[in-house]
This record gives sequence, C-alpha cells and structure tokens, in this order.
Amino acid sequence: MQIPANLAQTIVDSRAYAAGDPVDEAFRTIRAEMPLAVAEPEGMEPFWVVSRHADIMTVEKQPEIFHNGDKSTFLTLKEMDPMMRFITGGEPNLIRSLVSLDGQEHKDLRAVVFPSVTPKALRGLEEEIRKIAKSFVAEMLAKAPECDFATDVAFLYPLRVIMTVLGVPQEDEPFMLKLTQELFSSADPELNRDRKEVNPAEALDGLRRTMEDLEAYFGVVTEKFRANPTEQVNSLIANAKVNGEYLNRRQLMGYYIIAATAGHDTTSNTTAGAMWALAERPHLFEQLQADPSKVNAFVEESIRWVVPVKHFMRSATQDTEVAGQKIKAGDWMMLSYQSANRDETVFDDPFEYRIDREPNRQIAFGYGAHVCLGQHLARMEMRILWEELLPHLKTLELAGTPQRTISNFVCGPKHVPIRFTLN
Amino acid sequence: MAEPFKRYRCSYCGQEYDEAEGWPDDGIAPGTRWEDVPDDWYCPTCGAEKADFEMVEIS
Repeated sequence: MQIPANLAQTIVDSRAYAAGDPVDEAFRTIRAEMPLAVAEPEGMEPFWVVSRHADIMTVEKQPEIFHNGDKSTFLTLKEMDPMMRFITGGEPNLIRSLVSLDGQEHKDLRAVVFPSVTPKALRGLEEEIRKIAKSFVAEMLAKAPECDFATDVAFLYPLRVIMTVLGVPQEDEPFMLKLTQELFSSADPELNRDRKEVNPAEALDGLRRTMEDLEAYFGVVTEKFRANPTEQVNSLIANAKVNGEYLNRRQLMGYYIIAATAGHDTTSNTTAGAMWALAERPHLFEQLQADPSKVNAFVEESIRWVVPVKHFMRSATQDTEVAGQKIKAGDWMMLSYQSANRDETVFDDPFEYRIDREPNRQIAFGYGAHVCLGQHLARMEMRILWEELLPHLKTLELAGTPQRTISNFVCGPKHVPIRFTLN
Repeated sequence: MAEPFKRYRCSYCGQEYDEAEGWPDDGIAPGTRWEDVPDDWYCPTCGAEKADFEMVEIS
C-alpha cells in the first residue's frame, strides 16, 4: 500500500514538525488506515513507514535483519547519497557512530562506555549533577519574573552535565552547543551553520564544515587523554581497544561526536518541552507541587510527549515480514517514534499529557540492542532538575508563544518564554 | 515435578532473561532461577537493574 503524497510529504517536512499538529494528524491517519505502508516523498528513495509501537519493537528486536548503517540512518534526499559517500569514502552516513553501526562493531563500541552509564554507575554522579542543577536553578530564579526556559536553562544544564561526564572543560561548552545545534538543525536558519535558508547541497556543506571543526577539536582530546587517562567518558573512548587496536579515526570521531551532541540535545529538547507542557497546564503544576514523588512520572511522560528523536531509519538485510507485510532485502524503513508514542492501542488519550500512566510504555529511547545508551543518565538529570526547581515556583505560565526547531530528526522546542513567581 | 523455567524481560529495552539459558557471560549458569540471580546483576543491554525486569506471560 502506498501512503498518499500529502501525508508522505508531511511526515518528512521539517516545518510540519516545527508546527507539531500536522505531523500528529498525519500519523494518526497513517496508524489507522495504513500502519505499515510505503511513502515516497519528493526527492527521496521510497521507504516503509513503521508507525505502530508494536511493529517498531518487532523491527528493533531483530538487529541482525534490520540494519542501521547499510543506508542513511535518518531521512535524506536521494541526491545527497552520492555526495555523502564521496565525502566519507563510501559510507552512507556522515558520522560513523553507534546509531549507524551494526553487528560486532556495534557491540564492541557500545561496550566501551556502557559500564559508565548504568544506573548503578550513575549513582556516584548524583551529587555532582545536583550541584549543577542547583546552579542553573539559581540563575533562572535570579531572572524572575520571566525567562526563556529553553535558552536560559534547558539548553545549558544538560550540556554542563554531559560535558562533565565526558571530561570537556566548561569554557568549551558554548563551542560544543553551537556545533551540536548546527549538526542537528541544518534546516533551521536560526541555528544552522550559515544562519540562513539553505538548499540541501548547502546544508550538507555546512554539516561537513561543522564536522571538520568537531574533528579538529576531538583530535586534540585523543592526544590529551592518551597521555593522561582518566575515568571520564572521552578518556574511555580515546583509550579503548578492540582486538588490541585503538578505535580507528572514523570510530573515534563518531563516538566523541555522538556522545557530545546527542548526549545533551535530546535531554534539552525534552526538558524544554516539559516546561512548555507544565506552563500550559495549571492542574499538572498543582499535582506536582502537591506530590513531588510524581516527578519520575512527569519525566517519563515528557519523554513520551516531546519524542526528541523523531525517527531512525533501518534497512532490511533479507526478505522478511513485519506484521504480515512482506519486506524485501534492501528496503529502507522509517521507525517513527513520534507516531509510536501516540499509538492509541498502547496509550489511553495519547494526545493528552498525563502523569498517571503506569507503566508508561513510551519508546522514545528505542528498543533492543540500539536502545539509547544514555537513557538512564537522561532520566536522572531531568529528575534532579525538577526536584531542585519545582519547590521554588509559586506560579507558572507561558509569557509568549513557544517555538520548535525546524527539523524532522532530533529536535524540540527552541524557545519557551515563561513567567513565574517564587515561593 | 520441577516448575517450568520462566522468562523475564527488561522493561527498558526488551532484553530477556531465560532461566533455562541463564547468562553465562556474567557467570550465571543455565537453569538459574530468577530469584537466584544476584540482586546486583543488571541488564546486559541497557544497564537497568534486576528490579526493572518483568516476568513474561506464557501464552
């Protein structure tokens, strides 16, 4: 079955994601009428749209059949593929990171950082993260009665946390934030490399220049941590060996870049979106004030609600079947987390923000072998921020219209103006 | 008659622990019952704790 052109166009349209509702409406129709069907938006290779929660789990549980890295791991135009392969020496993805790896290489590389990000290992960081949260809360409170919660808090706090975990000095944070935003927001003239409207080829060139800056930066990081190893994550990456060899240049750079960028941008988007939801819902604010133990449920629901990673792509390595649908070897597939987290068969009132979902089966971190490596850190740092902030707030409301980034991949609110009073 | 082996699933990533298979990579022998898996064992895929696993219903 073919998804009608208007729907296919909407679910890849960065501006539709910035608007929000058009994408949710399109996926609502797709889930109901063609939950696993082919889309062929203009300029793109056709791909299956996997819109249901259960079908995404089915695909993600079979990483040997559905590969991440044989084709582009995220939506891209057909014309970009040869350029990408030219730049990378034959690979379909600009960055060779965990999200684009398969098989033993993925297992080996994931194992480098995994022991540092288990809940057990993270408990040792709680105090340090709380100190960081307190400092950002204090800065925000000093701005009372108004601030842009996205730019003043949500972008900066997760950045400080992840840079601390990685071992990046504080003075380098603005540089890392700028490059992360350039990397994930190439379609947004406010945040992309050239700070203007760009065509796809210009966007790719901007990404290439951003990559060069990141590689130059992390080249020095490797030297530094090989000379003086620490327990910090960048040091683990710099000194990791697989079969007795250091990671190669593409693996090293991919690892540093994914940790330093996806490690905070996703949490920033979710934190900003959580505040947007809270500021619009006085009953939710009252509920959390009355029962602070609901903060974990609030965090989980904000992850479901914001879905900071809108999709990942997979490609089939063999002829197979998903939910009765025949998939051919080589077929490209879009796993829409945005859609799965609104799946009516899994969530009651999926378009309502509710903190009474027990359990909350949100799937924004993915599932199976590729489940987000930093998911426990993300939950922990968000919980700590809200624990530190909420007791200080007496009233809270929006002070303007929030705005989302123009992107169809990793994105969320970029401005969340709020007005608040203090206890 | 011995109780049939059960399976437990990580609620964060779907990783399954099958009592029949154990988890030899972590020194847990095949046939190890869930209650005998050490409390500090964690999900080998995502790091979630033992308490975050749920029994899989046998259908």
